[in-house]
Amino acid sequence: MPVSQLLLGVLALGAAYALIALGFVLILNATGAVNFSQGDLVMAGGFGAVALGQALHWTGLALLPALLVGMAALGIVLAVLTYLPLRRRPPEAVFISTIAFGIVLQNLANRLFGAEPLAAPSLLGGGRVRFAGINASLQSLATIGVAALLIAALHVMFTHTQTGRRLRAMAQDRDVALAMGIPVDRMVVGTFAVAAALAGGAGLLLSNVFFVTPTSGGEYMVKAYIAVVIGGWGSIAGAVAGALLIAAFEVVYPSIPLLVPALLPWSDTAFSQTTSTIMLDAAVLLILMLRPQGLFGERVRQRP
Amino acid sequence: MSGTPSQGFARLLARGGIAAPLAFAALLWAAFVLPHASDYVVRVLTVAGTYALLALGFGFVFGQAGALSLAQGTFMGVGAYVSGIMAVRWGAPFDAALPASIGLPVLLALIAGVPVLRLQTHYFALATLLIGQVVLLIAVQWESLTGGANGIGGIPGLSLFGWPLHSRLAALLLVWAFVAAGGLLAWHLGRGRLGIAYAVLRGQPVAARAIGIDTGTLRLLAFLLSAGYAGLAGSLYVRAIGVLSPDILGFPVMVTCLTIAVVGSRRRVSGAILGAVLIVELPEWARFLRDDYLLAYGCILLLVIVAIPEGLTETADRWLARLLPPPPRPLPAPAPLPLISAPARGETLLEVSGLVRRFGGVRALDGVSLDLRGGEVLGLIGPNGSGKTTLVNVVTGIFRPDAGTVRFAGRDIAGLTPHRIARLGIARTFQTAALAPDLSALENVAIARDAARLGFWRALRARGAEKAAAEAEAMGLLVRMDAAAYALAPAGTLPPGIARRVEIARALAVRPRVLLLDEPAAGLNEEEQADLSRRLRTIAAEGMAIVVIEHNMPFLAPLVDRLICLDRGRVIAAGLPDAVTSDPQVIEAYLGTPRTVQA
Repeated sequence: MPVSQLLLGVLALGAAYALIALGFVLILNATGAVNFSQGDLVMAGGFGAVALGQALHWTGLALLPALLVGMAALGIVLAVLTYLPLRRRPPEAVFISTIAFGIVLQNLANRLFGAEPLAAPSLLGGGRVRFAGINASLQSLATIGVAALLIAALHVMFTHTQTGRRLRAMAQDRDVALAMGIPVDRMVVGTFAVAAALAGGAGLLLSNVFFVTPTSGGEYMVKAYIAVVIGGWGSIAGAVAGALLIAAFEVVYPSIPLLVPALLPWSDTAFSQTTSTIMLDAAVLLILMLRPQGLFGERVRQRP
Repeated sequence: MSGTPSQGFARLLARGGIAAPLAFAALLWAAFVLPHASDYVVRVLTVAGTYALLALGFGFVFGQAGALSLAQGTFMGVGAYVSGIMAVRWGAPFDAALPASIGLPVLLALIAGVPVLRLQTHYFALATLLIGQVVLLIAVQWESLTGGANGIGGIPGLSLFGWPLHSRLAALLLVWAFVAAGGLLAWHLGRGRLGIAYAVLRGQPVAARAIGIDTGTLRLLAFLLSAGYAGLAGSLYVRAIGVLSPDILGFPVMVTCLTIAVVGSRRRVSGAILGAVLIVELPEWARFLRDDYLLAYGCILLLVIVAIPEGLTETADRWLARLLPPPPRPLPAPAPLPLISAPARGETLLEVSGLVRRFGGVRALDGVSLDLRGGEVLGLIGPNGSGKTTLVNVVTGIFRPDAGTVRFAGRDIAGLTPHRIARLGIARTFQTAALAPDLSALENVAIARDAARLGFWRALRARGAEKAAAEAEAMGLLVRMDAAAYALAPAGTLPPGIARRVEIARALAVRPRVLLLDEPAAGLNEEEQADLSRRLRTIAAEGMAIVVIEHNMPFLAPLVDRLICLDRGRVIAAGLPDAVTSDPQVIEAYLGTPRTVQA
């Protein structure tokens, strides 16, 4: 397997993870709280894409705008239920309320769609593309394209619009932003909407290849959380880097026996998917113990 | 005391809160309904008992230490696996397997806890979540030992001293006897000074260390206790239901535990028990929920955390206290407290030399040297950002110095942890008074006296007389700082001026020989400033060395013996107050460069 092929796989998976981690870190910066239901929003986006696909028989790319709008609405519901009533309480309260919201989402999905894995429509179709010696699926190329487009749109919004500037001001210092007349609560609700839309987009991208079940949000949440921790708590660029790093690990680790044939006899044990997850978790635990400020340093610094 | 039965009942409610009628109702139910209850009801209540133990344990780490652990369900699962595997492999009865099924989760918590517990809440939650995920994956993967995804069936039931408990009622009674014992232990540990120390740790983690509380050990203790309770709960659970399955290591068990803690009230024994009974019984009471009980848990968790974040029992107690205010407790009689262990007038206590501390590229301290003798009051001035507070933070061990030495009474203390430095005899106050808001002023002061006398075994043996002695001494210090009238008020409600005086009283309770005060006069009027100044002089006259950070020269000038001025991390002037304040460099540092007069 050529290295370029692996790289493409890393990029496609990492781009989708990056969308999830971005939503996670946006909410973190706006509220100081962890959104534990971020993975369940991915799951909701996956089922949303399944439902829209069944109803309209369009390709995934055509469904994307409607899905983003619907997920943004879900994000507003999330903010109104779990954040606004608790904004004056310690962040741990929001942590718990979003756990609760995630459980509600999971069980509603179970009610509506059942526990069987379902696949969302592909973005453009099931073809393959050959160029420069790489044999790539259209889906993975389109995934990279869509994720890049969403991240670029987010970047433009942050740097070139009044709302984006307000959001950045609020993420840096909430109290000062409030004192400057920025409608902080409305901005926070907007952040939840954007974060949910990003997660929903990731759900559409991921659930075509990996399928979606009511409980598949848990692992996405853990990955977003890990990406933000190793990327540096609160850093937006770090979250994207962290997501790519996780994807690289997940794609490369099980392929090690393919690259080093001497290890082939252990490919079902030491290089299985389960072992890969255990190794990733152990690596992150090690990072947390040795460098509690993350691989790239913590953006948020507190004065004792 | 005499009175009508209703008055007696009111008194009981005022003293014991909602727990008293709840316990009474439970006893009535056990006496009259339980003997006729169906097997099924008994079985569900047995499971509820195991969850009550799980939540009681969770109360230590989540309630007392304030750390959101997501591994509590994992510890229960490990306990269940140890007991279940020992039963089918070696035929070990429940009680023979008990030490291992409690010990292994505690050992796991010890290995994981030492590095992980110093993380902040959000990292700690992730770390415990990952530990849980790894344990679950290993349990599923290691089929030869654990039975893999299918688990192991036919686990023999509960037994005691070789006697199997065949009847379900006996099993229920055994489980609830453990709940009663575990609840009693949790209540006893939480009500004394250990509980107060945890409140300081939650409310003011930095200040807790600065008064000598070993917060790392207390967090670890809470984590180990929570794992021990969870291991006991797991081994009871697996014997009660007779099947071992990896489900017990899954996140839903953790969610159930969290829901119980939040719904019941996280720091209350009554809360853990009431929460467990309500949440475990819920799917039975509302039959239509059978398949969607987790959906109901999610909705209930969301509703409770939003509407009554303190949980049922604590909220009920608040309402009760409003309806039937408890009788005001009398103020303890103040006891005199010798301020310093050995009078040290004139002896050099603190020697700082060449101290450097960098933050990124900024040198907050750039080679600071100073020394301080017993009985001396030293003023520390300098513009904002000149390094005054950083100096205090380095001397008290909150920051490590990058270079230089700090010697206290001849001993090098640079790099020691804050609580050890405090116990050696250096106490401080903070720029904004850092008192634990939920504790009374008296408790805030008394715990500083006892900070070196905390721990599991001491808390087990705690007696009322010690508490009375600590409070009497704390009262003496509050009288000394003229804050006695506020002794029983929650610290969070104190006016700023009073809070500062309580904080100084707390620092004195550490029995320091060096006292570092960070802007003690901020927010005081002139009369209060003069009063504070007099009190500080008296304290210094007894031999204590005091450093006062302040901008307020009218307050500082008559108080201090010497002044030191810092600017950009360096000492730019030192000496008698008049000399320092008229030093051109000092004036320049405060007012900017003077315009040079052209000739």
